[in-house]
Amino acid sequence: MAETESLVPDTGAIFTFGKTKFAENIPSKFWFKNDIPICLSCGDEHTAIVTGNNKLYMFGSNNWGQLGLGTKSTISRPTRIKALKSEKVILAACGRNHTLISTVNGSVYAAGGNNEGQLGLGDTDDRDTFHQISFFTSKDNIKQLSAGANTSAALTEDGKLFMWGDNSEGQIGLKNKSNVCIPHEVTIGKPISWISCGYYHSAFVTVDGELYTFGEPENGKLGLPDPLLINHRSPQQVSRIPEKVNQVACGGGHTVVLTDNVVYTFGLGQFGQLGLGTFIFETSEPTVLTHVKDKKINFISCGENHTALMTDIGLMYTFGDGRYGKLGLGMENFTNQFFPTLCSNFLRFTVKLIACGGCHMLVFATPRLGVVEESEIEE
Amino acid sequence: ASEVSEAQTTDSDDIIVIPQSQKCPKADSEKICIEIVSLSFCPEAEVMSDENIKQVYVEYKFYDLPLSETETPMSLRKPRAGEVIHFHFSKVIDLDPVEQQGRRQYLFAMLHAEDPDEGWLKFTVVSDPLDEEKECQEVGYAYLELWQIFESGRDILEEELDIVSPEDQAVRIGKLKVSLQAAAALHGIYKEMTQ
Ligand SMILES: [Mg+2]
Ligand SMILES: [Mg+2]
Repeated sequence: MAETESLVPDTGAIFTFGKTKFAENIPSKFWFKNDIPICLSCGDEHTAIVTGNNKLYMFGSNNWGQLGLGTKSTISRPTRIKALKSEKVILAACGRNHTLISTVNGSVYAAGGNNEGQLGLGDTDDRDTFHQISFFTSKDNIKQLSAGANTSAALTEDGKLFMWGDNSEGQIGLKNKSNVCIPHEVTIGKPISWISCGYYHSAFVTVDGELYTFGEPENGKLGLPDPLLINHRSPQQVSRIPEKVNQVACGGGHTVVLTDNVVYTFGLGQFGQLGLGTFIFETSEPTVLTHVKDKKINFISCGENHTALMTDIGLMYTFGDGRYGKLGLGMENFTNQFFPTLCSNFLRFTVKLIACGGCHMLVFATPRLGVVEESEIEE
Repeated sequence: ASEVSEAQTTDSDDIIVIPQSQKCPKADSEKICIEIVSLSFCPEAEVMSDENIKQVYVEYKFYDLPLSETETPMSLRKPRAGEVIHFHFSKVIDLDPVEQQGRRQYLFAMLHAEDPDEGWLKFTVVSDPLDEEKECQEVGYAYLELWQIFESGRDILEEELDIVSPEDQAVRIGKLKVSLQAAAALHGIYKEMTQ
């Protein structure tokens, strides 16, 4: 990488891994001139980037119109969504085949597949350009967006959570409906601080640090004891995590939780995405990742079958399905990783943003000033 | 799929810099890619009830490559009845026509093997004892015929091979799923060697 580092400007680069559709799926990188990314999101096969200048760039698969470019052609290079030129974009979330974005003035837009109403536009017609969800107004200060297989979520600054789309497994928290085409509020009576939509399950965290899960109950991904699974269509508290929860990330069949001190994982781990070693391929018991217990983790991200962790000093660990190089651990020889594995590519960078998708991963990192202490990286 | 051209989509104020890639990807005819995908055992196979077998890995041999490069880097817990364990261990082997003549001749010899046993890529399933003092033990073999790929001109994608017992190769004890991208290279090697 010696040659590579010198090429990356001080403002950093976006690194691509796995089946991104960019650079023929070879691990690669790019950056913006006079702009930096502030938000990355990966769907099943597409990617959104929001920049500091509030521009939206998209690339990847587009067969549902999820790039919002008015076409359904695959786009192999980050492409600015000019139709949103008059809007200042601040957040983006990619679902399996749809995209949500929000703007500085509180508008929320959606594009792509809409078979379950996940665009929130009151119908189930696909859109290949971004359409505004009229439900949200400038009064709704959007703090976080999340999107799952066919689900969507928006969390406001004052802790209100709205979800819409597929409810076949109860993954948007409605008991009796199979889907809804407009946002509805999900509430357990206290403000919510974090939301994550997995493929067919969802999880949120309350401001006082309680974790709730709902949706598809199989393989332990709700982290609940068996007797509670019958109520999987309603958010239920995962009481087996004793400390205050800060973040949660849901993948295809697994769930990753960040508390003040440690990372817990549960669910399906047949490819190593739980990071719990080579003997545990499934568990419903939230289990501490002892492998990184002495590291301060401050961000977690789940793809369908892989997981990435970012530390306080901007190092990155990945584990799970290694196919196509999506773990960022090599150029052409790959393997599943069953323990959190340090991405040595980034020892000389400070990792700032990570997004994991179906078969790909994007990382924004800036060249590191100074050297990482040996003690920080020893395995 | 068609792509939106750069001219249509790039403003002067939002230039994206894509550095020249350092390495050109190798042509398909100058490499092969072997993936050990996954493994399962038959519920009735002896290996399932053998208490001494706790975890397994898979290896193959390829000409000059050290085993450390052609064995799965980790052992996984022995699969339970009906369970599949997933390695997704893929390796690209360089077959550069100038630098890797030895490997090309090795593959040509496999295509031309007089002894049918030599025309196969052999995968070995190995039991890796938890007690480091104990010896690793071969618990099964799986074979992939190279000629079949050459003749059909088609790569092998996630093919399930029978795993047979080392004691009696007529006894099937499980399935090993592998992929082998080699059709283009084998075609090139055959052409080169028979000209
Ligand atoms: Mg179900
Ligand atoms: Mg060994």
